[in-house]
Amino acid sequence: MTRKRLAIVGNGMAAGRLLDELVRRTATALFDIAVFGEEVHGSYNRILLGRIIGGATADEITLKPRAWYADRGVVFHPGKLVTRLDATARVAHTRDGEQHPFDVAVFATGSKPIVPPLDGLTTGDGKPKAGAFVYRTVEDSEQIRRAARPAGSAVVLGGGLLGLEAAKALCDLGLHVTVVQRADTLMNVQVDALGGRFLRAAVERAGIFVRTGTGAVGVRGEDRITGVVLTTGEILPADMFVLACGIRPRVDAAEASGVPVRTGIVVNDLLATSVPGVFAVGECAEHDGKVYGVVPPIWAQCEVLADILTGANPQARYRGSKLYTRLKVAGVEVASMGVVEPTTDADEVIQVIEDRRGIYRKLIVRDGKLAGAVLVGETDSAPALARWFDRADPLPPNRLDVFCSPDVLAAAADPEICNCHHVTHGTLVGAIRDGCTTLPQLSAATTAGTGCGSCRGAIAKLILQHSPRTADAAVTGTGRYG
Amino acid sequence: MTSLPLVPPEALSVRTHCPYCAYQCGMLIGDGTADAPGTVQGDPHFPVNNGELCIKGWTSTTLLRHPDRLTSPLVRVRGELRPATWDAALDATAEAIRATKERYGPDAVGVFGSGALTNEKAYLLGKFARVAVGTANIDYNGRYCMSSAAAAGNRAFGIDRGLPFPVSDIEKAEVVLLVGSNAADTLPPIMQWFDRQRRAGGRLAVIDPRKTATARAADLFLPVTPGSDLALANGLLYLAVEENLIARKFIESRTTGFDAVRRAVLTYHPAHVERLTGVAEATMRKLVRWLGSARSAMILSGRGPEQQSKGVDTANAFINLALALGLPGKPASGWGTLTGQGNGQGGREHGQKADQLPGYRLIEVDPHREAVAKVWGVDPASLPRKGKSAFELLDALGPEGGIRSLLVMGSNVAVASPDLTRIGCRLAALDHLTVCDAFLNETAAHAHVILPAYQWAEEEGTMTNLEGRVIHRRRVARPPTGVRGDIDILRELADRLGSGDKFAFHSARDVFEELRRATAGGTADYSGITYERIDREDGVCWPCPSEDHPGTPRLFADRFAHPDGKARFFAVEHRPAGDEPDAHYPFYFTTGRYREHYNSGAQTRLVGALTKARPHPLLQIHPAAATRHRVGGGSVVTLESRRGRAEFRAEVTPAIRPDTLFAPFHWGGSEAANQLINPALDPTSLMPEFKLAAVRIVAVGTPVETP
Repeated sequence: MTRKRLAIVGNGMAAGRLLDELVRRTATALFDIAVFGEEVHGSYNRILLGRIIGGATADEITLKPRAWYADRGVVFHPGKLVTRLDATARVAHTRDGEQHPFDVAVFATGSKPIVPPLDGLTTGDGKPKAGAFVYRTVEDSEQIRRAARPAGSAVVLGGGLLGLEAAKALCDLGLHVTVVQRADTLMNVQVDALGGRFLRAAVERAGIFVRTGTGAVGVRGEDRITGVVLTTGEILPADMFVLACGIRPRVDAAEASGVPVRTGIVVNDLLATSVPGVFAVGECAEHDGKVYGVVPPIWAQCEVLADILTGANPQARYRGSKLYTRLKVAGVEVASMGVVEPTTDADEVIQVIEDRRGIYRKLIVRDGKLAGAVLVGETDSAPALARWFDRADPLPPNRLDVFCSPDVLAAAADPEICNCHHVTHGTLVGAIRDGCTTLPQLSAATTAGTGCGSCRGAIAKLILQHSPRTADAAVTGTGRYG
Repeated sequence: MTSLPLVPPEALSVRTHCPYCAYQCGMLIGDGTADAPGTVQGDPHFPVNNGELCIKGWTSTTLLRHPDRLTSPLVRVRGELRPATWDAALDATAEAIRATKERYGPDAVGVFGSGALTNEKAYLLGKFARVAVGTANIDYNGRYCMSSAAAAGNRAFGIDRGLPFPVSDIEKAEVVLLVGSNAADTLPPIMQWFDRQRRAGGRLAVIDPRKTATARAADLFLPVTPGSDLALANGLLYLAVEENLIARKFIESRTTGFDAVRRAVLTYHPAHVERLTGVAEATMRKLVRWLGSARSAMILSGRGPEQQSKGVDTANAFINLALALGLPGKPASGWGTLTGQGNGQGGREHGQKADQLPGYRLIEVDPHREAVAKVWGVDPASLPRKGKSAFELLDALGPEGGIRSLLVMGSNVAVASPDLTRIGCRLAALDHLTVCDAFLNETAAHAHVILPAYQWAEEEGTMTNLEGRVIHRRRVARPPTGVRGDIDILRELADRLGSGDKFAFHSARDVFEELRRATAGGTADYSGITYERIDREDGVCWPCPSEDHPGTPRLFADRFAHPDGKARFFAVEHRPAGDEPDAHYPFYFTTGRYREHYNSGAQTRLVGALTKARPHPLLQIHPAAATRHRVGGGSVVTLESRRGRAEFRAEVTPAIRPDTLFAPFHWGGSEAANQLINPALDPTSLMPEFKLAAVRIVAVGTPVETP
């Protein structure tokens, strides 16, 4: 049987994960796999770009060095942008005019940053002015790092996850950082308004200035940016202007290929587009009206697609994912899952507010099950909440029980002293008070200490503590064979 | 109340070892005169247990005078087991083996051994299968126990010895991490070392889905989601890299493969790991800081991470962590596994495993075959190749699978295996089953011939404990009339099969002499060990290549056992278990042990003091889950998995995760936890997934009084 040619368009996290899943299913025996990446790097972990701003090398966050591809017989085309697929001729066209035949293709083109149309942001040739940055790739992050000078000022446009991460990285480099957020609160997608206030306080404590309820309308500066003009008319002086106001699926190649696109590339439960032999996965894909921008759903998609493509499990289907976000923003722990506001009158809302400690917890309960939660400032209960949320188990009648630390729940009320015979502390103390004041007496009355004997020291101590007439007898009774 | 006599040690003069677990406590039994001594005392001079015993050890001599003891061979006649003479029984078995071979070929004969057998018997059983029968299909219940850790150790270090250091090193470790080991119940006397360690200021962390007796003793407890240990280990390594705790020099000079592992764990972001494992990031960070900043730290693995369909990878994930922190080879530091079965260690070194030959040699490696064939005086080409692993072997019983005749020595496979309903059908489909054991058990119920064998105290032999220490079990009791030793049984059978000259052993010492020669030059080299040295030195740790070699209590100080002397990192990835909970089977089900019982309970369920303390298995269920299903303490709960059903009385306790149910596996019949268990096998070790199955509660009956 001749091997089919599989083209993966894109080399981001989704492509990398898909490769892992394919290799695990020994897909290299079924396919000649070719990967086309616009960037020259092997697949890297975009979530860790903050480390690059902080001074890390690209290699430190690289998931697959080039050798990885070669070692597994995967052809990697670095720096090669696929502009369109000819689905009929089964050929991928690249920007530099090359044509690569394929049998099966997967779009894993990810997202691109949104660049709002701000007055004066671009130079004559359409490129952003010096000092303006987007924050999406290793190159972007390296540029930000190079431009970040001590005593500089940075304005970060966007108070979401990416914006706060960039702000923190710049703040850590000693810059004067201001986050400008059009919504009234930070991270308004994952955190409700009250939680956003807690988050803001924590972000400000970390040394970052926050402007909410205002956007940018333009930038100042001729060759390079010197300031940012806000909707209020105010001008914030800035050496650096980081655009982190959202991402949008990269669908241009899919559109040019005639693959149906709404917000993202439209796929069904098999991650298939309506064009035969063409699939899409990751941030560029739209499944059931939803486009995912976080890692776990994308991994779930990659698993299903690999099952389908290799035939490992032809019945595998992607049914959508529950949203869960958990991160540390500017030093403050945040967890968010499901819905963050009630959507019907029947939804219960539980809020626990600890102003002094800066801790905020909120649950949305629907039909007795956890429909969503927000935690700011303290997230020890996040794993347990994730369990209630993921499993959709009915919550305990006292909803607050779910916040209990597992250790508190599991603390044994009456610890076992003699493990061989399961004699508890309470039983022993009772017997001592009833008059068993030597080890042999106590052993005879309770059987404690007659198994392995390792508890006899502890029992002797109890006798000393609780016996009405503390006893030399007890001490002499502690000999190993006593 | 049990009446356990506290007798001064002077009256107990014979030093030997306990019949049960891999800790092999030294014990003093009898005064050397009684036929079946009833008293036992911990041996205060044996440096492993220092005089301590657990309740099983204390009551072990009960079995020496038990009314249920088999004292005559039994042969099935017209569907009924009837007493027979030894000659008749041995003839029946030999004839069955001969006829099966003739009709279906030698591989149609299966042999199933045990981690309870002495080194001598394990060695002899392997030789019997390969030489007298000529079958490839021999395996043993150790496959169900340590095989994942063994495979991981071999991959990473080039050698598999449970612990690379003596247990006494535990007290010198600043931090000990126990992964899925409930040592306080499974190896109770080992706790003395953890107690000392903690008294000296050391810290103990425990990873387990249950707050076990061991976890209650810990300074840090990580209540992990069943089946997610691998993700947790990778997540810990992610944090170790992030916090710059890794031992760069050590990694560079003594290991290979770190780069791939470093990249693999980059995707184990704490947010992701928290959701998978249920362990909070703050807890993970605390643990990794403890491990990474201590002067000495140990990671000790139990069956929890190992008995999974990704058990080997999971063990390797923790070894990766240990290597990245520079622990292996450092004093009082490193990675080890707490072996479970009495001779689990020795059992896997001497060739009763489908892929192995004595001395930890590999049956598929030609020089290894030649070395052993030379000692055995056979043509290397006549040795069979690799056979089926334990579960595969049992699953191949009967006309469909092709194994028509089976010899089981010292294992209760009808309780110890996963998916018991299936295994029961397979056993019933055999043309012939011979069971060698001291008592009737669930497996023997299917037997055509039962050969009553000596118990541990009735013959001598050597065992290898969890430290790789070879120890001497002495004969302290006289066997009842009508019972024979396994060595005699194998000799008689070999005789009848025409290979008597290769099995002309009359004592364990004879066998041991040949075992020494057969292991010489192997990984597990016993050639320098003698009974005299064992007695003189309180055991000798292998490898011990010559009589003037001191033995090797500690491995890896200078080099690892791979040819380049380096340890190997293995990039491993989390993957779902064979049977993950879903809407139909919402609970995780996991299994484990009681302190009072051992393995399938074939021995301990016969001891009054033990069954009185633990007459039945109890199902641990969290109050949140119990309320939802109207389960009270003592309710009879029927569980169902995709394979079978089992019934337990409930113990409602917050010491377990709300999504997980637990029951011990020491019972058969409707109380058999293994009815529910999924035989998904690890691709490398072929270990079944004992530690996790998806189940649902199908019925809740009225509470019966729990004892």
